[in-house]
Amino acid sequence: MVKEATMRVLPRARTTDTQQAAGQAWRFNATPYWFVLPYLFFFVVFRLGPSIAGLGISFTNWAAIGTPQWVGLANFQAMTRDPRLADALRNTAIFSLVTVPLLIVLGLALALFLNRQKPGRALGRVAVFTPYVIMSTVVGVLWTWLLDKDFGLVNLALSSFGLGKVPWLVSQDWALLGIVLTTVWWTVGYNMVLFLAGLQDIPAELYEAARIDGADSLGLFRHITIPLLAPTLFLVLMLTIINSFQVFDLVFVMTSGGPGTATLTLVQYIYTTGFQFLKFGYGSAIAVLLFVILVVFAVVQTRAYRRGLSGAQ
Amino acid sequence: MQNSKLLGNLVWYVLLGVIVVLALAPIGWMLSTAFKPEAQIATTEIVWIPRTPTIENFTKVLNNYPILRWTGNSLLVATAATILVLFLDSLAGYALARMEFRGRNLIFMLTIAMLFVPIQITVIPLFLLFSRLGLTDSYLALILPVGGNVTGVFLMRQFFLSIPSDLEDAARVDGANALRIWWSVVLPLARPALTAVAIITFLSTWNSFFWPLIVTRTDAVRTLPVGVAQFMSLRPGMVQGTQAFGQSMAGAVMAALPPIIVFMLLQRYFIEGISRTGIKG
Repeated sequence: MVKEATMRVLPRARTTDTQQAAGQAWRFNATPYWFVLPYLFFFVVFRLGPSIAGLGISFTNWAAIGTPQWVGLANFQAMTRDPRLADALRNTAIFSLVTVPLLIVLGLALALFLNRQKPGRALGRVAVFTPYVIMSTVVGVLWTWLLDKDFGLVNLALSSFGLGKVPWLVSQDWALLGIVLTTVWWTVGYNMVLFLAGLQDIPAELYEAARIDGADSLGLFRHITIPLLAPTLFLVLMLTIINSFQVFDLVFVMTSGGPGTATLTLVQYIYTTGFQFLKFGYGSAIAVLLFVILVVFAVVQTRAYRRGLSGAQ
Repeated sequence: MQNSKLLGNLVWYVLLGVIVVLALAPIGWMLSTAFKPEAQIATTEIVWIPRTPTIENFTKVLNNYPILRWTGNSLLVATAATILVLFLDSLAGYALARMEFRGRNLIFMLTIAMLFVPIQITVIPLFLLFSRLGLTDSYLALILPVGGNVTGVFLMRQFFLSIPSDLEDAARVDGANALRIWWSVVLPLARPALTAVAIITFLSTWNSFFWPLIVTRTDAVRTLPVGVAQFMSLRPGMVQGTQAFGQSMAGAVMAALPPIIVFMLLQRYFIEGISRTGIKG
């Protein structure tokens, strides 16, 4: 869903056709509708309709049993008194605050490193991207084993450096960090590939010109790479934030939100509320909250980005 | 000069080595564990090459779990969904890019808006819809909602805006109707965009977890990610109350290796496809 936002192909505006069509006298032509109708049917029934229905259900007390009733804002008022929701929000925020910077900085560092004309860089790129090809639940099962307290590879490696055992997934203090670690390993390659594409779009002549003018590599990075990479950086940041707010698969497999509520996240809470306790109304209300948070972040980020652009000019 | 270049190369190779090892060691450990007998798995020393390699974990998984069935279900669902999306989106994307009709802008704006609505809002209504239809736990419930995805339409439209319409105009002058032009002129031109949409749709459906978890109940239609999650990880590493990481890892290997091999073979297209569709805008 969120990845959908990434899919963009450079449009070269071609308005001549439509202008021609608009110039002609309007007469009904059924052909376009036959082209759009199949998609429109699926879009309305399986995407647009359910989105609107989800919003509607959030104002009801719909549950598995009993007749649903309109309860106005009662679900949203109940949220303010729900300690589990508070935990879910806190955990999701902490997860995002740790994961997003790690994924951006590491992704960019890897892209810069593996963008150099050196032997073996193709191997490096393939290696870093490979984890991303594995499905989320398999990653979860694998890392549950790697992070095992007594026999997991991570703790064995730590102890060979003389460090103690970390109770990764079984302690309230460490469980979320275990999920963070897994997420970074799994998805950093995706960000790296997006950054690499951005880097390759920067014309090499710019670097040459700046070098002739006497710029050092730090200067090149600050005054050419970063400004020209800004659109990529914005997109990757947006995607990473949106994805981290929706973290679910790894949590479901590795900890089911536990121990206690230590790794309970927003989407995990939507899942348990809606499909284990079958409280459809309240579950939908939490999903609406997630939507609102995502929209707020998208707006704030876009504003900040625009301001950054105008400030740079 | 010579020395600093040598040092630079040394640093390069050491860092490259560290990166490759960190990225691939977990996968190597998965393989290593999968081929160890259970007694050699829970030890405190790091043994990469199993002392007495065995395939018993794999045979146990194949005997205990319908993992081949899950894989077959995933392949079927992902393939059907991809064909559906290619059909819907190449038609609609073409019309949105090239044809003038009432409601066009509305359809496009609603499509864009849905890029920002998380699917978690839709799953409860979708579940209620499929329950009413008596279609939960069916292939249809897994395939049909993918047709409502908006990425492909968006991608196709942008692609058609980026190519000239000369060939279509020529075909129109020759008297071909719109459907014919779409089939024999437009689709052959759109192969790069169709490939990108196909890869994206297939992968996202293949990996999809949240909706299949909710809507499937039986192994008859259960997909691979859901099967792995529910059975390899019911208290991860435990099978009937005993430690069984060998079986978990054997299952993980069977689920992870085919995509890894496909990726290794086609990695150039994968990475090009992702960077091209992911970034240009």
